[in-house]
Parts: sequence; structure tokens; C-alpha cells
Amino acid sequence: MQLRIQNLLPSFFKKESALESEIWRKDLSFEKGELIKIVAPSGKGKSSLMNFLYGMRHDYNGTISYDDHDLRRFDREQLARYRKDYISIVFQDLRLFPNQSVFDNIEIKRQLNPFHTSEKIREMTARLGIEDKLGVVSSQCSYGEQQRVAIIRALMQPFDFLLLDEPFSHLDEANAERAMKLMLEETRLRSASIVFADLERIDFYPYTKLFHL
Amino acid sequence: MTADEWKIEHNRTKRSKTMSVSFKPVKPLFQTATSSVSRWFSYIGLGIGVLLLLCSIQMFVNIQQLLKGGSIRKDGYDFISITKTVTNETMGQFEKNLFNSEEIKELKTKPFISDVAPLEANQFQIELSAGGILPFRTNLFLESIENSFLDTVPSSFQWQPGQTTIPIIVSSDFLEIFNVFAPSYDLPQVSAETASGIPVLITCSGDAGREQTFSGRIVAFSDRINSVLVPKTFLDWANLTFKGQKSEHASRLYIKTKDANNTELLRFLDEKNYKINKDKTKFGRMKQIFQGIFSGLAVFGVMVIILALLLFSFYLQLVIARSRESLKLLLELGYSPGWLSSNVSRRFIPAYLIIVIVALALTQLMQWAFHHLVMYDRPELSTPINWTVILAAVILVGLSVITNYKLVRRLVFEN
Repeated sequence: MQLRIQNLLPSFFKKESALESEIWRKDLSFEKGELIKIVAPSGKGKSSLMNFLYGMRHDYNGTISYDDHDLRRFDREQLARYRKDYISIVFQDLRLFPNQSVFDNIEIKRQLNPFHTSEKIREMTARLGIEDKLGVVSSQCSYGEQQRVAIIRALMQPFDFLLLDEPFSHLDEANAERAMKLMLEETRLRSASIVFADLERIDFYPYTKLFHL
Repeated sequence: MTADEWKIEHNRTKRSKTMSVSFKPVKPLFQTATSSVSRWFSYIGLGIGVLLLLCSIQMFVNIQQLLKGGSIRKDGYDFISITKTVTNETMGQFEKNLFNSEEIKELKTKPFISDVAPLEANQFQIELSAGGILPFRTNLFLESIENSFLDTVPSSFQWQPGQTTIPIIVSSDFLEIFNVFAPSYDLPQVSAETASGIPVLITCSGDAGREQTFSGRIVAFSDRINSVLVPKTFLDWANLTFKGQKSEHASRLYIKTKDANNTELLRFLDEKNYKINKDKTKFGRMKQIFQGIFSGLAVFGVMVIILALLLFSFYLQLVIARSRESLKLLLELGYSPGWLSSNVSRRFIPAYLIIVIVALALTQLMQWAFHHLVMYDRPELSTPINWTVILAAVILVGLSVITNYKLVRRLVFEN
């Protein structure tokens, strides 16, 4: 299983802005089992790249292919299967259902293609310290709590690649480390890969490849 | 590997155990509870439209069944009788008031006339009595017409020279008229069956004092022809025997036509100053008018249904618009747009079913009331609703479900 980018550049970026990038306009492939770290300051297109890889936006030049299949050629149903079975994401802006409880937010994702039983939700929320929030409407949780909900939600399905878009922006270091440990365990369980985009390097992520965007 | 192959390979993987996905946790994300006013309005509108349509179909069938007997149409043809208008100028001139063979030929050439047959009359004197059964004696006329112009021709309607019994077909109107005046003459009213059983005596008298009495028996009643009809063989024989000549002129002609209300036909008859017997076309006209009214009501019902479905589509658009964010996120999380469309639209199927079943029940109630209270259980009608009404109801449910699914699918795929 391979996620490959070829000559990729957001259509709203000028070619010159890609000169120093190790990703834009390059030919790269991410293999299963790798831990990828992408570092870039704000405005360099981290979220755009994550959205491109997740098949949510197509405003780019070049190609992104999953197992030699061009993402742009996927129809709506194929795209749904791609997100359900092969790729998972922690959005920078979290994207929770604001009026649903923490449990329901996670369960909605879990039931789609259950990798874990619903008991696992309780176990993971306990590990990340939000077990007491399971019945609370997500909009009433703090940003840090919501971020942990979004992380657990992303771990409910099978995946080959886990995309992380600044996943710890609202977490203190101890909570971030706990969350990272959980994600690494879950990724190893699936022999999968993590593509982690952030502002800077973090010590507790044992990346195998590092790219500057 | 093509995208299709990828799909197939993907479907083989053990990961694809999606069909157990429950709509329950997703359901609250669609805000159907709000804006329920427009939903109820559209349900009520749909109910009224469906009820109108179903009732109209049932009434359409009722009219058809009620007027079946009175209809002058048979095998797609109308049969109308025409006479010449007797004016002051033509009074007393038989030739001018009767149809001759040339005029009959001319009628036959017209494209809007399928066939013409003269109603031939007796040229001699006839007296009818009921023998000893009823104290009844009257002068009578007899006529004959080709059998193909008769609505009911029993096998016994035949006569051969030497036969002393004459089969007779009488206009059903005559029986009604008899039953109207019978009480005032202290005569018993008779049913069609009884009338058929009464033997009557027909005395024919002609030139040179020749006279012969036959027994007559009513073998059928005609709704179409206002006359006393005997087999053509008898009348031809009797005219020759008692008057010495065959009937050459006819006072009445019967026209077989595809449409008695054809404007060309009516214009032609008018030009020729021929008079149409409108009485027998009245049923046809009444039927046309009633069916026209109920067709109009059915069209109105269909329009109400379309309006209601439109209103419902606005409601659905509102629901989807209000749930747009949730829907978008569900699709981003990997929910299939096809699965979402069918599950969202499936939620409205019970409502559609209930609406159509209630409308069907009300139509049945209407039919029961119409049959029992208005039509006093007339045997031509039936209390259960017609199968076409049930078929229409099934088609309506199907149509509503399909249009609803297509609309939801379009709205979901727009996201």
C-alpha cells in the first residue's frame, strides 16, 4: 500500500514558492509502516496537503495516487470507501458534531467500519483522561478535550495511513505524549503509516522520514 | 489496475463489512423535527390530492357501470335513428316524408356513417289483444330492421312462413310506459319476465278482407330501438300477403356511426333536414358530461398531488440545507452518499404509506355511502372499491417513494 505524490503543487501557489520545499513539485511515495514527519511554519500549505491526501480538495496540479489509483478519478462512492477503509485523519479544526455527545461522535465513526468494539471507546477515553466526558455534548468540552475526541475517533476504523494535521495544538505536552503513544500503538496494530504535519518537530514522535514543506 | 478492478478487489477485502451500519446514531443529525409545519402541510396536501384522484377514479368506474345498460354504444359504435321533419309543406305527401332507396344509398356513401338500415313498417292493419288474460285491445304497428342493428337478438327471433307464433322485440320504454298508466286502467303492472310470458294475439287484416291471427311472444326488450319489432322475414311476407307489395319506403332509418356527436355527421343531417332521435343519445351525453366532470376532478387531484410533492421537496431541501454541515462531515468521515440518500428517503416511506392507505380507506367509505345511501344498493355497482383504484394507489406510493429518493440523492450528492 502506497500513497504517492507526483509534481504536486496547490493551484493557488506560485511555482517559485515551491523551490525550497521538500514536498511541493517533488516525486515522493509514503509506504505502509513508515512514520512521516512534515514540518512547516504557518501558511506553507500543511492543511492543504492533508486535505489533498484525504481526497477532500482537488485544487492542485500534479497527481496523488493511492495504490496507483489517481485520487481525482475516484467517484463519490469510491472516495467514501477510501476514507472508510484505507485512510483516517485528525483534522486541524477537529470537525466534531457539536450537538452530539462525545460517545456519539466517536460511535458514528466506529460503526461505519468497526475496527474496535464500542468498549474500546471507553478504554481509550480513559487513557486520554476524558472518560467522564463521554455523555457530554462535544461543544461543551474544552478545545483540548475535543482534540482528544477527534484523535480517538480517527482510531476507530481500519487504515493504512493516518493523517495528523497539527493534532496537539490544544494539548499540553503530557496529554500530547499520551495521545501520541496511543496513536503509535494503533498504527503498529494495523502495520500502517502516520503522516504527521506540524509547526515543529516533537521529541516523542519517532519519525522515519522528515520533510520540510 | 482500473478503478473498477480496484473496486472489485476492495470489495473482496475483509474490511468491507459496512452493511451493518446503523442509521440510529446518524438520525439526530438531520433536523427533521424543525420546520414541521411545511411537512404537515405537504402531507395534508398530498392526502387531499390522493383522495381526490382515487375518488374520481372510483366515480368514473361507477358511472361507467351505471350507464352501461343505457348506453347506445356497442362494440365502439353509436346507433341513432333519423326521421324526416314533417313540415306544413310536406304534410300528407308520403314520398317527401319517407326515405327512398336513393337517399339511403347516399347516406351509406358518407365516411362518417358506417352503415344504414331502414326501419320497415307494416303496410296493413294490425290489432293486438292479450286474449283472455288482460282485457286489452289496441291497434298496433310492427316494424323490422336488420338483426345487426339490434342490441339483443335471441336465437328465437326467427320466423318462417307457416309459423303461427311471431317472436317480438319491444322497446323497454314501452314496458315502462305501460307500467305507468296500467294502475289508472286497473291493469296489473308487469315485470319484464312476466311480460315475456304473456301470449298476445296479433290480428293482421289487409286488402280484400283477408285476415289472419297469429300468437305473439315477447322474446326480448330493446334499449336502442323505440318500436315493436318482428323478424324481417315475417314483415316482408305479411306486407306481400296482406297488401300485395313490399315496403319500399322507410319512415325511420338507423345509422351506425363511430361517433354520434361527430360535427360533420350532425352538419350533414341538418343540411338534409333530417331529425335525429336525441332521446337515445341522452344517456351517452350524460355519461360524457359526468365522465368529463370526474376526469376534470382527477386532473385537479393530480395537480394537487404535484403541488404537494413540490411543497414536500421544499421541505426536504430545507431539512438538507439545515443539516448541510452534518451531512458534509458525514461524507468527510466516509459515509456513502448512496447509503445516506436511501436511509434519509426511507424515513418518509411510512408517512407516504399511511397517507395513501387513509385515502384508500376514505375512498372505500365514500363508495360504501354512495352505493348504500345514494344508489340504494343498485346491483350494477359494488360496495368494494374497484381494482383500478387500488392499482392507482400502489402506483402513487411507488411514484412518491421514487421521486423522494431521487430528490434526496440529488441534494446529498450536491454536498
